[in-house]
Amino acid sequence: MKGDIVQRVVDYVSREIVEDPEAVSVTIVEEGPEEVTAEVRAAKPDMGRVIGRRGRVAKAIRTIAQAAADEEGLQARVEFID
Amino acid sequence: MTPGEFVEVRGPSVDTAVAAGLEELGLTSADEAEVEVLQEPTRGFLGIGGEDAVVRIRRKPKAEPRASSGQRGRGSGGDSRRSRGSGDRPTRQSGPKTSSGRGSGVSQSDAGARARAPRREGSRDGGRNGGREGGGARSRPDDREVIGVEEQAEQIKEFLSGLLEAFGLEGTVSTRVEDDVIYADVTGEQTEALVGTKGAILQSVLELCRTIVQRKTQQGARIRLDIAGYSERRREALRIYARRLADKVLAEGGEIMLEPMNSADRKVVHDTIADIEGVRSFSEGEEPQRSVIVAAEGE
Repeated sequence: MKGDIVQRVVDYVSREIVEDPEAVSVTIVEEGPEEVTAEVRAAKPDMGRVIGRRGRVAKAIRTIAQAAADEEGLQARVEFID
Repeated sequence: MTPGEFVEVRGPSVDTAVAAGLEELGLTSADEAEVEVLQEPTRGFLGIGGEDAVVRIRRKPKAEPRASSGQRGRGSGGDSRRSRGSGDRPTRQSGPKTSSGRGSGVSQSDAGARARAPRREGSRDGGRNGGREGGGARSRPDDREVIGVEEQAEQIKEFLSGLLEAFGLEGTVSTRVEDDVIYADVTGEQTEALVGTKGAILQSVLELCRTIVQRKTQQGARIRLDIAGYSERRREALRIYARRLADKVLAEGGEIMLEPMNSADRKVVHDTIADIEGVRSFSEGEEPQRSVIVAAEGE
């Protein structure tokens, strides 16, 4: 399915970062023929971890999500949903 | 690297200066450092004439942040960092072992499965942020404090193996520890996909490695990551560049400011320049605009 690699990668990384991996979910939303958005949800106290100080972790996740999307010839965005 | 090593950094605020200094020392948490504010920032008129904050940051000996754990080898002081690398690890008789264990080679599927396993208790004490700011005033002893650098290396290896698997890339992950620095090496033709333009993806992977070690062990780690040989190629190019600049400075005198670089790259330049007679180097500016300056000795 479209965005599979993005989903797997963002899911894996997010679970590694949080304290409560069970609460993490990553949903792929197709925005267009070559564009997907990964929606990341996590337990409230974990949101700060996923975003990190000054958004550093979020930025890293976005870069890696795009790397995953490149494998499928897609553009990927990541949204952290509170 | 000696515990007494320090850097002086300036920045628009104490916070930014501290963050930059920590990075330069290869630390990820203020817990690991002693911070001395040499100058509080002052505001100038319309941003002109203000004074930056200046801080001096020194690496703490690693044994320090333990708070109330009386039975752990006291008095190891600054030596503990060194001895840890040679296998003389602090004792860890209290509390359960961490889930990462000490097993050698973790298979990729194993790492993937583990990543989804629930965390063990104790990871949810909310102490992460408190610990960061608290300067060692932890609320309770936590056996993760004494997790050795080898175990951090093992966690990095697991994380990277799992990442390759998530990407569906063939590759090999190896780690080694030298002088308390963790060297992680990801090799395999396909892993080129994790390098990115100017190493941007590699930098992000490194950032995540740091974050994960910090979260799992409450300790920062100095990590050098290479993927598909990129970092080594880049370091070599940087060394050649630095030598050329040194030649120029030796011939013409004065000083040359390089473009801003991250702390790892700056270190490559500093190390290269240190080996050359008649020139010296230092860093100026604040992250992420901190730059190395190569100058003739005595100028």
